[in-house]
Amino acid sequence: MSTAVEVDDLSFAHTGADLPALERVSFRVSAGESVALLGPSGAGKTTLLALLDGRLQGWSGRVSVLGAPLDPDRPPPSARRPDTGFVFQEFALVERSSVLRNVLNGRLGRMSPLRALLGSPTKHDLEIARTALADCGIADLAERRVDSLSGGQRQRVAIARCLAQEPRLILADEPVSNLDPTRAGEVLALLTGAAQARGATALFSSHQPDLARRFAQRIIGMRDGRIAFDVPTSELNDDATAELYREVEPLPGLSLRAVS
Amino acid sequence: MQFRGFGGFVTSALIAGAILWSFVTTDVELSRLMSAGPRIADFLGRMFPPDPTVMAEIKKGSAETLRIAILGTLGAVILSVPLGILASETMVSPAVFRPIRTLLAFIRAIPLILVAMLMVGAVGLGPLPGIIAVAFHATGMLAKFYAEAIDGVSRAPIAALESAGAGPLVRLRYAIWPQMAPVVARDTIFRFELNLRESLILGIVGAGGIGFYIQTYVRSFQYDKAASVTIAVVVMVIAIEAINVALRRRFT
Repeated sequence: MSTAVEVDDLSFAHTGADLPALERVSFRVSAGESVALLGPSGAGKTTLLALLDGRLQGWSGRVSVLGAPLDPDRPPPSARRPDTGFVFQEFALVERSSVLRNVLNGRLGRMSPLRALLGSPTKHDLEIARTALADCGIADLAERRVDSLSGGQRQRVAIARCLAQEPRLILADEPVSNLDPTRAGEVLALLTGAAQARGATALFSSHQPDLARRFAQRIIGMRDGRIAFDVPTSELNDDATAELYREVEPLPGLSLRAVS
Repeated sequence: MQFRGFGGFVTSALIAGAILWSFVTTDVELSRLMSAGPRIADFLGRMFPPDPTVMAEIKKGSAETLRIAILGTLGAVILSVPLGILASETMVSPAVFRPIRTLLAFIRAIPLILVAMLMVGAVGLGPLPGIIAVAFHATGMLAKFYAEAIDGVSRAPIAALESAGAGPLVRLRYAIWPQMAPVVARDTIFRFELNLRESLILGIVGAGGIGFYIQTYVRSFQYDKAASVTIAVVVMVIAIEAINVALRRRFT
């Protein structure tokens, strides 16, 4: 089985930050797998996903995405970018544009620069966008403006945009944490199902263990920028999960103040 | 806001002092105010009925004012695009946008009528100094608005398009511009309304437009004609505002 993501000894610190956001992270994801990154806020999940998407530079280690190494100092060439799709927690849609326009935005990297700039999608582009809309169950919303949609509908648009990109790897950063539990399950089922149907690899982050269990074959636990565990979903035990979310013990110095 | 303690007392005393000082040194004579009643009545009487024969002048003057406002706004837009970019936090470094913002604040602080007087001195009478004055004066506000429109754009959709492999120009067109366009349109229409209102009086200092006729008729004691022009100005201002409200509602 070929490898979709290969990360070896990856470390990264945001400029001006005292602590590294990622520290000596290593893991691999095989092509076609569905993997969840589980962990509390601040564990480094968002940073890791943005880095794999080629939007962060200045890291150390070795990272390879879809068989090609990432350069730690410069973004990947734009020709490679459409192969990696991204679904954002906050949807990242253009609110005033129509649903179809937003989904076509996912095609921009696949068009020639001139065609993209002129805004004239080919029949093929339109067909792919319509199929993505239908697969996400929102074909009837194509002409609606995004700012008139609900949160669940918006994330479906964002997933349709990602699918229109025809990615081989789908990265999703907390894709359902802004949705209510019912919608969250539906949207995550859609995301992982669409990835599987297209033979694409899915790597999504979540802070909810039950969602990770339901929709991932493997779960990578993260805490404080490090990998805490990396297990098949069936082997995930509650102790390991509890350890991930353990409150940080207050420093001894802090409790002294209450005494004095 | 509440004033308390000694600081409150000092503030109250200062305000009272300022009012007293203005009264005492301005020579406000009650007798003059009392005797003004009949004179105001006489003044209004001479304005009535308004003389409708000045319709031609009103048309000519309003058309010129409209032209000053249109070309002045166009000039302001042309100046505000580069200055707005240079005044935005997201496009340039603080070393650039700080001095540009100071410059814009300085421009805003100069009253339009003062700029117009200087321009009449520089290029002579007529609508040209009015156009230049409006363009200059309006840029102070419009460039600041444009900068705020740029800085108000949400970054997330731009990152999404970058992730999809879209180049900088394509991102500008599909992620940045759709967010900015309604704000830019609203701000520009708003500034056009202000320009039209403010340029109504430019004629008083010889910078063209309908204000020229008001000044001419008042100085030559033709109050009935001045009344017609004044009514025309009021109608224009109300019409502009109504059109503006209707237009702005479309850009949401």
